[in-house]
Amino acid sequence: MPRLFDAIREYLGTLKRSLAESLFALLIGLLIGAGLMLAFGYDPIMGYISMLKGFGIFTIEGFLAVLAIIALGLLLAAFIGAYWAKIPQALARLWRKKISGRSISLVAIVVFILFLISRMLEFLDNVELMEMLAYSVPLMLTAITFAVGMRAGIFNIGAEGQVYMGAVAAAWIGGHFALPTGLHLLAATAFAMLIGAAWALLPAILKIRAGVHEVISTIMLNWVAFFHVPYLIINRFAGVHAERTATILPTARYPILGASLTAVIFVALAACVVVYILLWRTRAGYELRLVGDNPDAARYAGINIRRAILISFIIGGMAAGLAGASQVIGRPLLGWTLPATLGTVFGLGFSGIGIAVIGRNHPIGGIFAALLFAGMLNGAKFMEYDWGISSELVVAIQGVIIIALAIPALLAMSRRGVRRLKIRRGPR
Amino acid sequence: MAFKGGDDAEEDFGVKMVELISTSEADYAPNLRTAARDPDVELIVGVGFLLTDDLVKVALEYPDKNFMGIDTYTKWTDAGGLKEVGEVLPNLMDIIYEEHKGSALVGALGALVAIHYDKPYIGGVFGIEIPVLWKFEIGYKWGADWAISWYENNYPTQYAAEPTTSIVNTAKKERVLYTYTGTFSDITKGYTTALPMYEAGAVAVYNIAGPLGIGINSVVRDIAERDGLENGPPFWIGVDANQDWINPGFVIASMMKRVDFGVYYATKWVKDNTFRDLVESEGGEITLGVGTEVAGVLTEGIMISTGPLGELDEFIEMGVKAEELTGERILLGSPEWIRGKVEAMREAQPSWMWDAVAELETKIRTGEVEVPLAFTADDIAFWRDIFG
Repeated sequence: MPRLFDAIREYLGTLKRSLAESLFALLIGLLIGAGLMLAFGYDPIMGYISMLKGFGIFTIEGFLAVLAIIALGLLLAAFIGAYWAKIPQALARLWRKKISGRSISLVAIVVFILFLISRMLEFLDNVELMEMLAYSVPLMLTAITFAVGMRAGIFNIGAEGQVYMGAVAAAWIGGHFALPTGLHLLAATAFAMLIGAAWALLPAILKIRAGVHEVISTIMLNWVAFFHVPYLIINRFAGVHAERTATILPTARYPILGASLTAVIFVALAACVVVYILLWRTRAGYELRLVGDNPDAARYAGINIRRAILISFIIGGMAAGLAGASQVIGRPLLGWTLPATLGTVFGLGFSGIGIAVIGRNHPIGGIFAALLFAGMLNGAKFMEYDWGISSELVVAIQGVIIIALAIPALLAMSRRGVRRLKIRRGPR
Repeated sequence: MAFKGGDDAEEDFGVKMVELISTSEADYAPNLRTAARDPDVELIVGVGFLLTDDLVKVALEYPDKNFMGIDTYTKWTDAGGLKEVGEVLPNLMDIIYEEHKGSALVGALGALVAIHYDKPYIGGVFGIEIPVLWKFEIGYKWGADWAISWYENNYPTQYAAEPTTSIVNTAKKERVLYTYTGTFSDITKGYTTALPMYEAGAVAVYNIAGPLGIGINSVVRDIAERDGLENGPPFWIGVDANQDWINPGFVIASMMKRVDFGVYYATKWVKDNTFRDLVESEGGEITLGVGTEVAGVLTEGIMISTGPLGELDEFIEMGVKAEELTGERILLGSPEWIRGKVEAMREAQPSWMWDAVAELETKIRTGEVEVPLAFTADDIAFWRDIFG
């Protein structure tokens, strides 16, 4: 247990400064947004109250529930962070039927916390809360893509195209194969991640072999996917209606927890935790971060820089592929289909960039940033419905808040960039 | 357009309309639910076929509220297993339009204009390639083909004497230049797609990509400026609304799909308590088109702007209102000037052209001819094999 508390303390400690900065930035963003509303003749306080409805915390119960779920989530993250190395062992022992009290209790605690969260969600039946969580799932995943890239010193903005590829891959497996329950879901999810990673492999190889800058190659591949995926949907994977894929079979759908939220959120959260563990608790992850922090030192230390870059692209591609899948087999959108207009997946990759920056390029920080962004997305409709604030203005207000939140992180990044330049030039 | 319908309904039935604009398809269900939860709301309208499944979902959740979808096919979906295909929900109505018939009329008009000005082609700028647009495409091509046959039958000597540049001497499969741009928002694509069409000799280009029409219009305006033209050709053909006012003298006509009528009618039916009866008696689907009837009453929704200028005024009025609201210049001139230019442009065309289009409209109305309806991949392959 002391180990658990240490992990929590450590985590909160690193969080404190950036949290304070972010809150200050949030305040500024809110003020500018209020100014915008005033300028267009709306009451900013009422506007923001309507936006808060989108977070599902407008009622006292809702507010408490959100606090409780965040606390449970933190506990789970800290628990897994503290005992992560033991959990697979415990599972393996259980598998080999070598039952020990410790391994049972370890696995049981993780399962119990997950169960508590899902029960709470069902029990509360807070539609807006669940809707917000549903919006956050793909965003926290595409944030990983950019964040892991940045950690390895790579400006990977290819999440957008990888999301499309992952989505169509999941739609193909989910709509065109008859597989048993469970396996089907697994196959569709895994294949989407695989295709996402494969799409990320192209810019990775171009970068490693030919030195092609990843910004150029990923942007271009985004467009290739943007035109290729609708072609696939219309000409290969269409169902009854030619403008969308065949309906995902029930065996490949994540079970609905309420509103548009499905169990895919647990997979997304797990992915965030796994990426955190990979980056901060393994040797490969340490090398990857070192390459991003100081490539010269990494080279001097004999680290394989190409390998680190390759790994960052693959992790990013898998996360983006999963994000795409989450919109097709993990959310009941358009009757469980992917439209050829790509409307259900469009823009997720680019939103992920902003969310990653707000989350300080950290997979756990990304979860909170994604929740914040998702709440604003979900609250937008209330601002329009309650007060007639036009959707364009709502998007502008969201944008202002996001930019304000990103500024501290952007400043830190540019400071680091300047410092690195100075080091490169050396003392005069 | 739907907004205009709601606006008109507000005026006539004393109702109030609240709008919710979805920024992505993920917003559909949450937005519909938000409206359905409001106790004062009687009718929820979803505009666009993509809302089909979400309308079914939310209509099932809120059986006391009335739902209507424009261009939707809620009757023919199972919405991922929520209902049977073909099952009609008592509180949900689809309103669909006969775009293929309207497109046939402007296709015929375009071909006749090409004959009159001895031009080899007509053009079409399309949005994203989805089946809804196939209805437009095949209707348009079929209409052009009908007009050329009509000319051959009615004016055989002139037909035989047409110069080589006339559309009648263009190979059947090449008469309509068309491009799917893959976008409904990128206006520059409208320009870059329409420009080569006009340069190749297209007399008129049909806009089937919403705002891309602004790009098409820019091409026409540039050509007019370069050659010092006061009137077309070149022309373009408007879609959905009456767009003749945008560049009077250069828009030969518009294929009007009156979404506003759909919203207006649905509101009326809810207000006089016939909405659910109509859903039952019409099988959940209301078709608005050329000569269509609902419960025995003529209820149309597709028309082409060749008749009296009355409906043009409605849209000019919208422009005037928008100018008042934004303080920006939207209309190219005074309403009278626009009317004058549109009228002059129409009178500058030979009367047999308008007669032919009117004849086609009558024949469609009476059922003497049937405009093909392409909605599946097989349909489109079949018709493209004939018309290119």
